[in-house]
Amino acid sequence: MSMERLNLYTKRLKGFINQYKESKLGIIGLIILSIFIFISVFANYLSDYSIKATEGDLSAQFEPPSYKHWLGTDDVGRDLFTQIMYGGRISLLIGFLAAAISGGFGTLVGLFAGYFGGWREDILMRITDIVLVIPGLPLMIVLSALLGSSFWNIIFVISIIGWTGTARVVRAQVLSLKERPFIESTRVIGAGDLRIIGLHLLPNVFPLIVAQMVLRIGSAILAEASLSFLGLGDPMSVSWGMILHWAFTTGALFSNYWWFLLPPGICITLVVLGFTFVGYALDQIVNPRIRRR
Amino acid sequence: MVTKKFVIKRLAVCVSTIFIVIVLNFMLFRVMPANPVDILLSPDVGQLSASIRMEVREEMIKSLGLDKPLWMQFVRYLGDVFKGNFGESFRTHRKVLSMISERVANTIVLMLSANILSILMAIGLGVVAAWKRGTKTDITSLIFALIFTSMPMFWVGGIIILVFAVRLDLFPMFGTTTVGLEHSNMFAYLSDYLRHLFLPMITMTLVSFGGLLLIVRSALLDVFSEDYILTARAIGLKDRTIIFKNALNNAMLPLITIIAINLGFMIGGSLLTETVFSWPGLGLTIYEAVMYRDYPVLQGTFLIITIIVVIANFLAEIVYGYADPRVRSGA
Repeated sequence: MSMERLNLYTKRLKGFINQYKESKLGIIGLIILSIFIFISVFANYLSDYSIKATEGDLSAQFEPPSYKHWLGTDDVGRDLFTQIMYGGRISLLIGFLAAAISGGFGTLVGLFAGYFGGWREDILMRITDIVLVIPGLPLMIVLSALLGSSFWNIIFVISIIGWTGTARVVRAQVLSLKERPFIESTRVIGAGDLRIIGLHLLPNVFPLIVAQMVLRIGSAILAEASLSFLGLGDPMSVSWGMILHWAFTTGALFSNYWWFLLPPGICITLVVLGFTFVGYALDQIVNPRIRRR
Repeated sequence: MVTKKFVIKRLAVCVSTIFIVIVLNFMLFRVMPANPVDILLSPDVGQLSASIRMEVREEMIKSLGLDKPLWMQFVRYLGDVFKGNFGESFRTHRKVLSMISERVANTIVLMLSANILSILMAIGLGVVAAWKRGTKTDITSLIFALIFTSMPMFWVGGIIILVFAVRLDLFPMFGTTTVGLEHSNMFAYLSDYLRHLFLPMITMTLVSFGGLLLIVRSALLDVFSEDYILTARAIGLKDRTIIFKNALNNAMLPLITIIAINLGFMIGGSLLTETVFSWPGLGLTIYEAVMYRDYPVLQGTFLIITIIVVIANFLAEIVYGYADPRVRSGA
């Protein structure tokens, strides 16, 4: 990379950071997410309790919050605060992976549809429309019931319906980009389709894709929570949704065990809100279709 | 007038989408890991000897047509779908269609009431937010809208049950009517039903109004920047007149599409809410079918729900076409 290019990139990055700093919501979102990511990553250093169902303290079932157990205990006497820290790992990981996979796939569809046009675009966009109209949660439920619940199946099921938004946004952007002179001129020099797509279109739509993906992480986390609540989660990887599933199935609701029910939901809400704030802040900067308001 | 061509074109898209959904539904339940016959056999015929088991198995494969080539199975499935024959429940051995039809009304009541309530809330708050753009009122309502849309709907339902049904004991927590209660007349039945409807309806409204509010607000902001609104303001028309006579009319257009697109989300929401409140609708049917691995019920309910959503989307597009002259000529 030449020095000139490097300078250009650092200059752009600085401009971006300055713009981002202006968004209060973006900063709040970033703070919320940093806290949750820190806690999830270092969960095993932050707590001495085990999350294994067999290692709970059976003499301390359904205990309300205390100094010993900050958020109380569950039906087999496990420390709920510890479970929530580990649960964050799974929820965030599923959110990140599902958003990355669906974002990647949506980007491919959008790039090819927008660049090639014609019948290829027609077919791809018709498929997008059909996936868009099929109600998401019922389809995810049917797929996970048929495929069985595992960590990767859940990610697959969430990704398979989540790519349509990105595909549309990317396609729209590519349609306007490919008319620009710099794309024309690269074509005239004799650059191949793949080279134009990979080297010239992709870098230009990339910021937009990142903003889309960040927004997707939140909905992926919500989708995972819903599936887990319905009993379609992976019991081997405990997410916040799975903790809530246990809270509902062990009757925490009717026995007034609020410490079992409230915290996982608050965590989900805050994290989804964090991604929404950051996503909007990014979108405001990178999406040319959004006017500032 | 919407041109005939526009309607026919949309109709063709709608019908082909439904066809693809039927194909998809057929294929999905063919690739599932376990053979349907084995699932059918396992609970009932578990005690039978191996040889009889084999016989029953072959008999079943024949009667279900599973020995035929895939395309013949599909033709048969297609015929069944058009006749409204979705098979029998593995669990209750009742016809899937009659199970669906006795529950569909509850889902429609819940979705319609929650939808109307959240649209009213979204319009009310959206108008205020857009008119007072950039003020504290605007920002507070935006943040509340975002917080509520970030909540898992089933969790909101759980908290509402905990507070209003368990702690305060103000409302019943499950079902559509009080179990064992003989209603003396139509009115008593209705009021009991509405009391049961209240909490699930509020749950769905709280989680879904936020998204709509954002759309109403931004649609209104677009309209507010148009010249004729500026003119109306300049000639001294009252705020209220401008909002309700001019602006809102034009902002309704994006709202129609969004409500249609939102329908899929609302279906998902009602599925979760029905499960939390044991509200006997299509969502609870799907949940129970998943729990008991009752594949015919799952397949039938999924197909019906999807077709309803596709048709609703088609109707919304037609309404949109009527309302917006640009669409008619453009399509």
